[in-house]
Amino acid sequence: MQSITFAYRQLNALILGKPQQTRLALACLLAGGHLLIEDVPGVGKTTLAHSLAAVLGLDYRRVQFTSDLLPADVLGGSVFLPGEGRFEFRPGPVFAQLLLADEINRASPKVQSALLEAMEEQQVSADGVTHALPEPFFVIATQNPDGQRGTFPLPESQLDRFLMRISLGYPPADAELKLLQGGDRRQVMHKLTAALSATDLLQLQQQAASLHVSPALAGYVLALLQATRQPELFLHGLSPRAGLALLAAARAWALLDGRDHVLPEDIKAVFVPVAAHRLTPRLPGSDSSALLLRILGNVALA
Amino acid sequence: MLADELRLASFAVLAALALVALPLFLHLPGWVPLVFALLLAWRATLVWQRRPLPRRLWLMLGLLLPVAALWLNLRTLVGREGGVAFLLLLVGGKALETASLRDWRVLLALGFFLAATPLLFDQSPLSALWLLLSLFALTWAMVLLSGEDARLSPAVTARALLLSFPLMVVLFVVMPRLPGPLWSMPTEQQGATTGLADSMSPGAIGKMIPSREPVFTAEFRGSQPRVSQLYWRVMVFDQFDGTRWTAANLALPRGVALSGEAQPLRYDVVAEPFQGYLPMLEQGVEAGEGVVLGYQQKLRRVDAANIARLRYSVQSVASSQYRDALDEREQAFYLQLPADNPRTIQAGQALAGRHPQPAARLQALQLWLAEQGLRYTLSPPTLADNVVDGFLFDSRQGFCEHFSSAFTVLARAAGLPARVVVGFQGGEFNTQGRFWQIRSSDAHAWSEVWVDGSWRRVDATALVAPQRVDAGIDNTLGEVAPRMPLVGGRPPGWAQWVGQQWQLANFSWQRWVVGYDAASQQNLFQKLGLGEVSAANVVKALLGGMALVLLPLAAYVLHGRRGRRSMAQRVWQVLGQRLRGAGLPITPGDTAAELQAHAARLAEADQQALAALLQQWQRLQYGPQGGDAAAWRHLWRQVRAFRPAKVGRKR
Repeated sequence: MQSITFAYRQLNALILGKPQQTRLALACLLAGGHLLIEDVPGVGKTTLAHSLAAVLGLDYRRVQFTSDLLPADVLGGSVFLPGEGRFEFRPGPVFAQLLLADEINRASPKVQSALLEAMEEQQVSADGVTHALPEPFFVIATQNPDGQRGTFPLPESQLDRFLMRISLGYPPADAELKLLQGGDRRQVMHKLTAALSATDLLQLQQQAASLHVSPALAGYVLALLQATRQPELFLHGLSPRAGLALLAAARAWALLDGRDHVLPEDIKAVFVPVAAHRLTPRLPGSDSSALLLRILGNVALA
Repeated sequence: MLADELRLASFAVLAALALVALPLFLHLPGWVPLVFALLLAWRATLVWQRRPLPRRLWLMLGLLLPVAALWLNLRTLVGREGGVAFLLLLVGGKALETASLRDWRVLLALGFFLAATPLLFDQSPLSALWLLLSLFALTWAMVLLSGEDARLSPAVTARALLLSFPLMVVLFVVMPRLPGPLWSMPTEQQGATTGLADSMSPGAIGKMIPSREPVFTAEFRGSQPRVSQLYWRVMVFDQFDGTRWTAANLALPRGVALSGEAQPLRYDVVAEPFQGYLPMLEQGVEAGEGVVLGYQQKLRRVDAANIARLRYSVQSVASSQYRDALDEREQAFYLQLPADNPRTIQAGQALAGRHPQPAARLQALQLWLAEQGLRYTLSPPTLADNVVDGFLFDSRQGFCEHFSSAFTVLARAAGLPARVVVGFQGGEFNTQGRFWQIRSSDAHAWSEVWVDGSWRRVDATALVAPQRVDAGIDNTLGEVAPRMPLVGGRPPGWAQWVGQQWQLANFSWQRWVVGYDAASQQNLFQKLGLGEVSAANVVKALLGGMALVLLPLAAYVLHGRRGRRSMAQRVWQVLGQRLRGAGLPITPGDTAAELQAHAARLAEADQQALAALLQQWQRLQYGPQGGDAAAWRHLWRQVRAFRPAKVGRKR
């Protein structure tokens, strides 16, 4: 537990003024989920992904997604070895413990779905051979907000593969001032030390998954899910899978708090990041997050 | 709604309509409900076989033909019979163009309307029971139409009806009523009502006796009369053509002076008019509201054309005679006799010769009749010509009609003005309800003879079979005609008890429900201190009554909901109420931490108390150990005791 607190502190030293987002990112990884960071360029998405890998002691790769990227560029492919007269599988960047898929919505849908399949299955199949991905395996994808030029927005079914979607947003004024005076953050990143090993992380994940969820809390989650299913709010309400994701994220959040059981507070903390990207508002132009906050305000605990 | 559900609900609607219309078989020409049933069956078959609706042309034919037949049959499409029959046929036709859910709902609404129509013909408690049954069936169909689970639907229906019942009572009591009885409506043919016939020829009343159908009730205030005093006068027959007695109905109004100054009996009667006349105990002294005491001591309603059931009060002196001055012309009128029955006329004239004094002559006539060896029976042989002679000298068997007819003829032959009075004699005292029930079988006829300026009652039947009058018809028949197939003697004890209960129910129903008219309503309003039945007062009473009925209902429903809430829900809700009461801006979705954050504005002690409560709450509700019932009760008591001080305005 100490190690995770240390990791958290280091992250906040680097990502200034965003304690909530860094904590969500940590919780997402503790819950074993993939993270989608949605933001305009230049607010520190890549820095967050990179520093997460560093403090968690994970093997890190980065792929910049472009429109001409091919699936093999991500997954890897077979290469003919003339000396030995056979093909050999060369793993792509996806064979890393933490893959940063930068600007995922710039790639063609073909590449997107290849990556998302790998994320779901935890394995890559090539030439009839299945290659397991390392453990732990995380994908942190960043994307520019929809509407920016040259993007292929991810369909809802694929957004569902990400446990959370967070936005960093512009830093608060004092943090930004400090940032402007402090020089390049990427230099600071090299000073980060791994707070825990991959084994520690797996252990923490197991610990998080075993946190107690009382029937009353499950009831509260159910009430929230049902509230999203009111037809006038969203095109489709949250699925049972979303409910399980919500509980997994809340457990990780509770673990970060050092508790052995989940409270409604945990649910509320992760609800919007877990739910918002899975929902499409019924009225065009309205915002999922705002609707979800309204639900949180109205659904009573008991 | 699924197609199968709609199909089931459609059957339910059709079945409910069939049930609703069933009593109309009793009141309409039989073929009309039959056609209605056929139309429903047609529709049900189409639903069953999932076939489309018939073409418009068929539908038009299927409807126009019966309507035309109805016109030919009744010569009208309005009024009670015509209107109801027409409505029935139209509803049947509507069923055949009913396809969508909305259509079925419309059809069902028509069913509710139809359910009320049998009451236009008959307002007995049985009709009311049938109406309740119909309401249940219709509501059930409505519940099914709303897509309710078929297995739950009976319970839902019963609950809905039970919950609406108090409101129904309030509306019944409070809604203004038209003057006159409930459901009164002009009928097409006068005289189709059961009761006494407008003429008497031996045999007519005898046919009524086997019928134990209740005809009217009487309730005495104060002392009860003896059975032998109960001569219920209805009509007077004063014209005889040799075989048949009829009423001449000379319109000769006159005042009536009563002989004797006995204490009058006061009583209320609920009855339908018989040929326009109402039963009244001999001798009437004073008629209450709505009725008049007139010519020949007959009682009729003020609005004589109205043949609906009526409740009225009368005062009578139990006496067998009353004073009446007849002039020469009238005396001659009451002496008219046709030339038939020569032997009787001869006997009368002979007696008259021997007894010049009218009073003595009357006595002699009675004595003579008693000595003729006559026998009381309900199944006398039929008589052809000279019926009175045949009865007195040949068959010597008969019942009240024969006796009264013969004695009146005899008296007229002896030169005494006389007439026949028709009505009821006796009745059964209902010990539970303390009222008298008079039945068809109590119908009776007796004579009145004018002697020394008074009409005197002579019950010739009593001269021969006195038990008919003293013990009532039931006992008389038991002795006189033990093997009468139709009467079967006196029913066993338990059956009598059941019968009395039924009478009581019927009586209460007539009195309190059917008889609840504008006057009773006014009475009730006054008793409740509501004043006149004016628009404003009705609205007041309506609102008050509805509040009176609906508030407990609402409380019951809310309490029921509260009872189903878990302890945790109650704890949480009360806690929220307390904090909101203290002036904190609590929202429903607040968590413990958020409540605590809001509570920063509370007094220090309250904050700490709240923190302790919230901690317990979290432990019991979300902790790995959970909480047992005792822990929850403990928390519940603490939460109820928690009363944070109000916070001031934000500085």
